[in-house]
Amino acid sequence: MLARCAVVVALLILGGTALPGQPTARGSAPQPPAAAPAAASPPLSPRNASYAISARLDPGSRSLTGDELLTWRNTSRRPAETLQFHLYYNAWRNTRSTWMRERVRVNPALATRPEGDWSWIDLTSLRIIPRGGTPADLLARARFIAPDDGNADDRTVLEVPLDRPVSPGETINVQIGWSSRVPRTFARTGVVGDFYFLAQWFPKIGVLEDDGWNTHQFHSATEFFADFGSYDVRLTVPKGWTVGATGLERERRDEADGTTTHRYAQDDVHDFAWTASPRLLERTAILEQPGRAAISLRLLLQPEHAGQADRHIEAARATLTRYGNWFGPYPYSHLTIVDPAWQSGAGGMEYPTLVTAGSRWLAPRDSTTPESVVVHETGHQFLYGVVASNEFEDGWMDEGINTYAQGRVIDEAYQPNYYTKRYFGGFVPWVFRDFPLQRVGNRMAGYRAAARSDVPSTPTWRYSPLTAAAITYNKTALWMQTLERLIGWPAMQRVMSTYYSRWAFRHPKPDDFFAIVNEVSGQDLTWFFDQVYRGSGVFDYAVQSIRSEREHVRGYVGEGGSRTFASGQNGDGYVSTVIVARRGEGIFPVDVRLVLEGGEEVRWHWDGRDRWKQFQVVKPVRAVSADVDPDRVLVLDINTTNNSASLAPRAEAAARKWSLAWMIWLQDHLMTYGFFV
Amino acid sequence: MRATEAFRDGGRRVNGAPVLLAGLFALTLAVGLPLSWLIRDMLATHLGSSLAAAPAASGINYEWWQEFVAQASGLGRTFAPSMSGFGAVLDNLQGVADDLPLVSALAVVTAVWLIVWSFLSGGILDRLARGRKTRSHGFFAACGGHFWRLLRLGLIAWAAYAFLFGYVHGWVFTSALGRLTRDVTVERSAFLLRGLGYLVFGALVVACNIAFDYARIRLVVEDRRSAVGALLAGLRFLRRHRLVVLGLYALNAVAFLLLVALYGVAAPGAPRQRWSLVLVLAIGELYILGRLYLKLLFYASETALFQGELAHAAYTAAPAVLWPDSPAAESIANAEPQPWS
Repeated sequence: MLARCAVVVALLILGGTALPGQPTARGSAPQPPAAAPAAASPPLSPRNASYAISARLDPGSRSLTGDELLTWRNTSRRPAETLQFHLYYNAWRNTRSTWMRERVRVNPALATRPEGDWSWIDLTSLRIIPRGGTPADLLARARFIAPDDGNADDRTVLEVPLDRPVSPGETINVQIGWSSRVPRTFARTGVVGDFYFLAQWFPKIGVLEDDGWNTHQFHSATEFFADFGSYDVRLTVPKGWTVGATGLERERRDEADGTTTHRYAQDDVHDFAWTASPRLLERTAILEQPGRAAISLRLLLQPEHAGQADRHIEAARATLTRYGNWFGPYPYSHLTIVDPAWQSGAGGMEYPTLVTAGSRWLAPRDSTTPESVVVHETGHQFLYGVVASNEFEDGWMDEGINTYAQGRVIDEAYQPNYYTKRYFGGFVPWVFRDFPLQRVGNRMAGYRAAARSDVPSTPTWRYSPLTAAAITYNKTALWMQTLERLIGWPAMQRVMSTYYSRWAFRHPKPDDFFAIVNEVSGQDLTWFFDQVYRGSGVFDYAVQSIRSEREHVRGYVGEGGSRTFASGQNGDGYVSTVIVARRGEGIFPVDVRLVLEGGEEVRWHWDGRDRWKQFQVVKPVRAVSADVDPDRVLVLDINTTNNSASLAPRAEAAARKWSLAWMIWLQDHLMTYGFFV
Repeated sequence: MRATEAFRDGGRRVNGAPVLLAGLFALTLAVGLPLSWLIRDMLATHLGSSLAAAPAASGINYEWWQEFVAQASGLGRTFAPSMSGFGAVLDNLQGVADDLPLVSALAVVTAVWLIVWSFLSGGILDRLARGRKTRSHGFFAACGGHFWRLLRLGLIAWAAYAFLFGYVHGWVFTSALGRLTRDVTVERSAFLLRGLGYLVFGALVVACNIAFDYARIRLVVEDRRSAVGALLAGLRFLRRHRLVVLGLYALNAVAFLLLVALYGVAAPGAPRQRWSLVLVLAIGELYILGRLYLKLLFYASETALFQGELAHAAYTAAPAVLWPDSPAAESIANAEPQPWS
C-alpha cells in the first residue's frame, strides 16, 4: 500500500510538471531527468488531458492493474459538474453491452466465445487530488451511464459527480486505480497466445465541449475521440519481453521479481497503446527528408515475416514523405510499426506514433499486402493523430479522407499492383497479373453494394454495423476523388495542407473541412457536400441513345420570294442526336461528348439537373459515339458502363471472347465435380 | 498385378479408345457452349452499345467486370476475374476442398452433369473393360443397361459424400481445426495444420472414391444388378488388394497433379486480342482434354487392375447372356470352351 501511495505521489509530481497552464506546479517540482526531453518540448497541442500511468501486466492471470494520475484542464466555456470516463474493457464483459449487441448482428459467433475470452475493468479508487487538501474519494458516487442508447447494462462510460464544478480553464488532478482482465481480442485490443496488444486499456476521460460531455459508449462500428495531452507511462511486463508503445522509451529497469519496467513518454498525443510479446523481431530505420527533421522508424515484426521488414519500412517511408509533401510535416520524431501476430485481430489500427500493420506469411510482391495497411495506418498519423476529428461521430473525416490519400500513395508508389485472391482458407495467394488495380473506381464495388445504407452526416456510431465501412471509407474516398477532379489536384492539395495546418492538434467538425474546401477552391461547393455528405442518393448518368443520320429537310425554306417547299431532300450534313439521362438521385454538372468520324469532338456542358436532355448537332460527317462525363470527373457514378454509347458497338466481340474464356472455367468445374462419379 | 502394370494397361486401353475420348470431349463442349452462349447474352446485354465494350474486347476492363458482377444473377454470378487462366483450376479445386456453396444455377448444371456421367460411365467402363471397340450401339446399350444400377449406386455415393462434406468437413475444418489453431499465432503453423486437415479429409474422400470406383467397376464388369452387392464386393476387393489399389490411385493422382502443374505453367491468363483468345482456348481445351484423358485413365487402370486380379470364372457372377454380352461373359467365353455350346 505504501509503495502504491509513493507511486501516486510520484505520478502526481510528474503529471503536474508536464502540464502547461499550472503556475503552482511549473518550475517548482523536481523533474525526473529521463522525462526532461519530452517535457521540455514546446507544446503543440492544448495538452489538457495528460496521464502519468503505472501498469503491470501479468500474463499468468491475463490481468492488467494500474494507477494513473490524470491532469485535466477544462478547456470548454462551461463548468464541469461531472467527469466522464471511458472504460472500454467492459464492452466485452458480457453479451449485454452495446458493443456486443451491435456486433453480433454481423458476427453471431462472438456471443458464444468461451469464458476465458471475456474481459472487464473495475476501478479500485477514484480521487480528486487537491492542492494541499485531503483527497476526496469519488468512487462510491460513480455510476455507469449510456448517453447513446440508454442501455442500462452497458458499462463503458462512467460518470462521476464532483463536489465542486471545475471552472473553465481550471486544472484538476484525478488519481484512478484500476484492475482489469485482458480479453482475447474482440476489437483490436487483447491477447492471443503470448502476443498482447493493448489499446483502450486505461480509464480515459471524455472530451468536454461547450455543449457538454462528448463521451460515447463503445460501439462496434466506430473508433475514438480524446483530448491531447502528455503521457508518461510505466509498463511492467515479464523480463525479456519486447515492448512497443506510443512515444519513445525513456527508461528500462529490471525489477527484483523477474519483471522489467519500461517507461514511455510522449507529448501532444490523445491516446496511448502498447504491445508486449516475447517473440517480436525489432528493425529500425531512419527517414531523412531534406529540410525536415529525421524520423526514426521502429518495426516490431513477427518472426515469420522477417523477410518483409523492408516492405513495411518502405511503405512507412512512402507515406510519411508523401503526406509530408502534400499536407504538412509529421510533427513527431518517431513512429513504431507493429506487425501483429496471426489471429491477434489487432492489425490495421492507428494510435499516436504507433500503428499496427498486418501481413501474411505468403505475401507476393505485386500485391499490396502489407503495404496498403501500412500506408493507411501511417497516414492516420496525420488524419487522426494530428488532426483529431471525432471518430465516434464523424468517422469519415479520418478514415475516409485518409483512404482517399492512401489511394494516392499506392497509385504513386506501388504501380502496378494486381488483383489477388487467396485460396484454401486464405493461406494461398494467387496474383492475377492480367488485372492491374487502378485508383479510380477502386473503392466502387464496396460502395455500390451499400450506397444508400446510411447518410454520412448521421453520427457514425449510428451507422448500420453491416455497411458502416462502405460509407465511412469507400464513399468518402470516392467523393474526395470526385472533388479532386472537380477542383483539380493543385487546389485539392492546398485544401489538404490548409486543413492540416489549421486543424493540427485540434478537433475539427465536418463544416470546418467544407469551409476550407470552399475557401481554398474559391467555389461554393455546398451543393456537392449536401449530396455526398448530407444525402444518401447515388449518381448515375447515362447515354440513353445516340443517332446520326443524313439530314432530311421538309417544309418551307428560304425567305421572301425565294421561299420554297422542300419535300424531304437530303441536306448537306448529318444530324447527330444524343439523349443523356440522369438515373440516380444525385445531381452533378457533367460534360457530354460526341465523337465524329475523323476524330472531331463536340462537347456540351450539362448542369445535370433534368432527368434527361437532348443534344443535337449537324455536321458534315456522322457521329461515332457519345459519352457523358468523358473525363471521369464524377468518380461516384455507380454505373460507368452506361455512360457511353457507340454506333459501332463491340459488345458482341467482347461477350464472345469472355464467354469462351468462361467456358473453360465451366468445363474445369464439371471435370472437378466429375471426380465423384 | 502391380500398380504400374495396371497403370500402363489402363493407358493402353485409353489410347485404344480415341473415339471415346473425343466423344466425351465433345460432350463437355456440348454442355459448355450453350451455357457460354447464355453468359455471352448476359454480357452483351449488359454492355449494350457502351464504349466499355471496346477495352473489354481488346483487353481487360476490370471496372466494367465489377459492374457486371454487381448486377448479375444466376450463372452470371460465376463470371469472376478469378475464372481466367489458372485461377479457374484454383477456384474449382478450392470449391471442392473447402466445400464452398455453388450458385444455385451452377448447382443444377453440376447435378445434371453428374447424372449424365452416371449414365455414360456404364458404357465407358464397359468399353474400357473389353479393350475393344463396342461401336455406338454397343456403347449406348451398355449405358442404358447399367444406368439404373449405377444411379442407385450413385445415390449411395451421394449419401456417403453428403455425410463427408455435410458433417465431417465441418467437423475437421471448423470444429477440430478451430480448436487446434485457436491459440496459434504463427500463420505458417496454422497453414500446416490446415494442410493436415486437407490430408485427413482428403484421405476419407479418397477412400470413399476408391470404394465407389471399384463398386462401379464390379457392377459393370460383372454385370451385377445390386448396387449394394457391388459396393460390398468392391470393398472386399479393396480389403484384399489395398496396397496395390492405393499405389494405383497414387499413380493416377500424381498424373493429375502433373497435369495441373503443367497447366499452371502454361495457362496464358485472360485473353486480350483475337490471337490471344485462340491461344487461351487452345491451351484451355488441351487441358480439359488432358483432364478427360486422366479421368478415363483412372477408370481404365482400376478396371485393368480388377480384371487382372479377379475377372475370371471363379470370381465373376454368371451374367445372363443378353446382347451385348457383359465383359465378364466375354472374358469367360475367351477363357475356356463355352459349356452351353
